[in-house]
Amino acid sequence: MPDDLLIPVDGESSLESEELLAASGLAHEELVELVEFGVFETSDGAKGWSFQARVVHQARRAVKLRDTFGLNPPGMALALTYLEKIEALEQRLRELECLVPR
Amino acid sequence: MKFKDYYQSLGLQRGASEEEIKKAYRRLARQYHPDISKETGAEERFKEISEAYQTLSDPEKRQAYDDLGRHRPGEEFRPPPDWETRFWGGQTHQEVDLSELFEQMGFRSSQRRRQAGGVDFPIRGQDVEAVVRLTLDEVSRGSQVTLERPGGGSVRIRVPQGVTDGERLRIPGRGGAGSGGGPDGDVYLHIQLQPHPLFRPVGHDLYLELPLTPWEAALGSQIELPSLDGRVRVTVKPGAQAGQKLRLAGKGLPKRGEGAGDLYAVLQIVVPTQISEREQELYRELATVSTFQPRPHDTGGATHA
Repeated sequence: MPDDLLIPVDGESSLESEELLAASGLAHEELVELVEFGVFETSDGAKGWSFQARVVHQARRAVKLRDTFGLNPPGMALALTYLEKIEALEQRLRELECLVPR
Repeated sequence: MKFKDYYQSLGLQRGASEEEIKKAYRRLARQYHPDISKETGAEERFKEISEAYQTLSDPEKRQAYDDLGRHRPGEEFRPPPDWETRFWGGQTHQEVDLSELFEQMGFRSSQRRRQAGGVDFPIRGQDVEAVVRLTLDEVSRGSQVTLERPGGGSVRIRVPQGVTDGERLRIPGRGGAGSGGGPDGDVYLHIQLQPHPLFRPVGHDLYLELPLTPWEAALGSQIELPSLDGRVRVTVKPGAQAGQKLRLAGKGLPKRGEGAGDLYAVLQIVVPTQISEREQELYRELATVSTFQPRPHDTGGATHA
């Protein structure tokens, strides 16, 4: 296939646990804990949990934080939660900045 | 091959202890981790730090690195001839990056261990990650990017309409090839929007400043403004206030499925800094005629200079 055009996965399609673990590098027990903390939303899939495809990016982020800072799952859960809050605030800030004359 | 000074990357002396290397890495990682630092260049700096740490924290790799001797960063050098056979099986290496070499080294040694143990276990292929900087026009129309694959060749990837700033896209199974029956890695694209001179994106919405003259704001006006698909006319109602938003539904960035964000024109009332005699006269006349009082707690009138 020298010249095919690749199409990215739709973030809302579904992803099984197995693929999520392989793609992110999370261990199964870590995933279980992160789900228990409510960091990742699950639904019931054919083989256990199923996730929205975009969860893979959060999981990879968790793994990068784990590897850099030696975090355990509660630490990863906390870091991800804070990062998401910060990003929501940044978005809100950008919106408000647009209302202020430059 | 270009030399990189891994000790310098971590701010260390050559003789640093394992503990010092770890400490330096941790301190710098906290400072430059892309999730923490929004400084420009932080991501590159973090890569540099991680690359240095990956080599210096592994005794075998550190020794090999130290054997290279000292060179200036960026200086062209040739690795010792025995490296070719030692680490990458005599392949030619015109444009090899030092980091690839050390990665290979880890890979080769794990392969050696594998062969020694006689067990062929699967290794997942490397993921390919790339930052893609797109213009608002590219995002709104959808576009394509071309990526180099590790080990040669390139792939074209469709960036669908509707991606937003900071979004990540995944293409499973199109990264580096797996070995020993392991699956291929994935491709990840990190979308970044280039700043636009007029429009500021917030999610799928776009914001645009709309400066008005005092009389346009007071009397109302029909104004033409730019949008991503040509000029549009808006009506500013009489008595418009600074900071008010005019919403142009569906004139923002298109969304993935259907529909689009909105375009907001944010009103700004601009007063000329230099005005003619005649204009001054008119303003003075306005000042005497007008009963408008913007400061409700003020009982006195305005003091004219």
